[in-house]
Amino acid sequence: MKKQNKRRGNDFGFNFFKILTHCAGLRGAYGFLYIVCIYYLLFDFTAVKAAMAYVARRFPKDNILFKYFHVYKLFVSQGKQLIDRYAAVEAGKVFDITLQGYDEFCDLLKSGKGFVVVGAHVGNWQVAMTILRDLQKTVYLIMRPEDNPAAFESLKVGKNEAHLKFISPDGFLGGMVEATNALTHGGVVCFLGDRHYGFDNVGIKFLGGEALFPYGAFHLAACTRAPLVVLLSAKIAHEHYELDARKIFSFRYESGSDKKEQLKKWVQKYAHALENYVHKYPYQCFLFHDIWVKR
Amino acid sequence: MHQEKEEKLKSIRKKLKELLVANLSLEGVKPENIKDDEILFGEGLGLDSLDAVEIVVLLQRNFGLEVKDMSEGKKIFYSVNTLAEYIYENAKK
Repeated sequence: MKKQNKRRGNDFGFNFFKILTHCAGLRGAYGFLYIVCIYYLLFDFTAVKAAMAYVARRFPKDNILFKYFHVYKLFVSQGKQLIDRYAAVEAGKVFDITLQGYDEFCDLLKSGKGFVVVGAHVGNWQVAMTILRDLQKTVYLIMRPEDNPAAFESLKVGKNEAHLKFISPDGFLGGMVEATNALTHGGVVCFLGDRHYGFDNVGIKFLGGEALFPYGAFHLAACTRAPLVVLLSAKIAHEHYELDARKIFSFRYESGSDKKEQLKKWVQKYAHALENYVHKYPYQCFLFHDIWVKR
Repeated sequence: MHQEKEEKLKSIRKKLKELLVANLSLEGVKPENIKDDEILFGEGLGLDSLDAVEIVVLLQRNFGLEVKDMSEGKKIFYSVNTLAEYIYENAKK
């Protein structure tokens, strides 16, 4: 199934902010965002509607005016992180990045085993990917290039010299043969776990409702007996990001129990971690998609 | 020689069917009811991409084999017969 990838802004806008970043630095570029995001709040009805699905659930008690204000703050926050992404990946800007769960993550790397990473559309996952690029392991992103063309271009995914490759879920058997082989050979296989893009999914409790999350990553980890790391990134200060890799799971199917029910429990653990995150960093959830089941 | 190959293939097919039933969620299906030319994915047994993970893992753990060439993957994973042939051909090497 094909998805029309839509992004906010056009090439002129992106180039304007790139030039501004070079000339005025990050803070100078951020300044313009406050004005630009007013435009999107007033006129980009699609984006506002998409953001509102999350905002309405994260701030259920707020009235509609406050909800619009939360959407505006979300747009500004995303804009800042897009500028940061450009600065980090293309302009060589070095950000402070701290890793929560450093010791456990190092133990995982020392084991030499392959592992699964499940991220989300929160914080700056592209900055998180730059960390994975330095791991001396081949990292495979399970995604369609058209779902995130900017990330592919900026991370040089699939280019000869990169240790970042992609496996398309539209490929042969959903890319699962390649993903399984990758883990067997000690690779890292990464998924974004908060949008299913039409693939196998399960209903999970999230922010007061039932949301559909994909479970392929969890099934892959259980079958291959590979550890699964929930990796979430958050901007905690100017030029400072924090990656949280404290949740490392070892999922194993129990014989005699329904596999789907087991998968549901595991995905719920991920959703729980994500919910804790959005409670702490409400303006860094960039889902922009209604993942909840309509009742 | 030919008879020896056939015997070996028969044994591989039998083992494959038992492994498929034991590892995949094939409710009400017995190994002896799976036809040799049964299509594995989509039609036939109706397996999906998530079942592919389990088949790749059982190939690795039970036969020490891996499918590296994805362009050959469609032919290899087509049916019990084609999978058994692949195992027979590659287990010899």
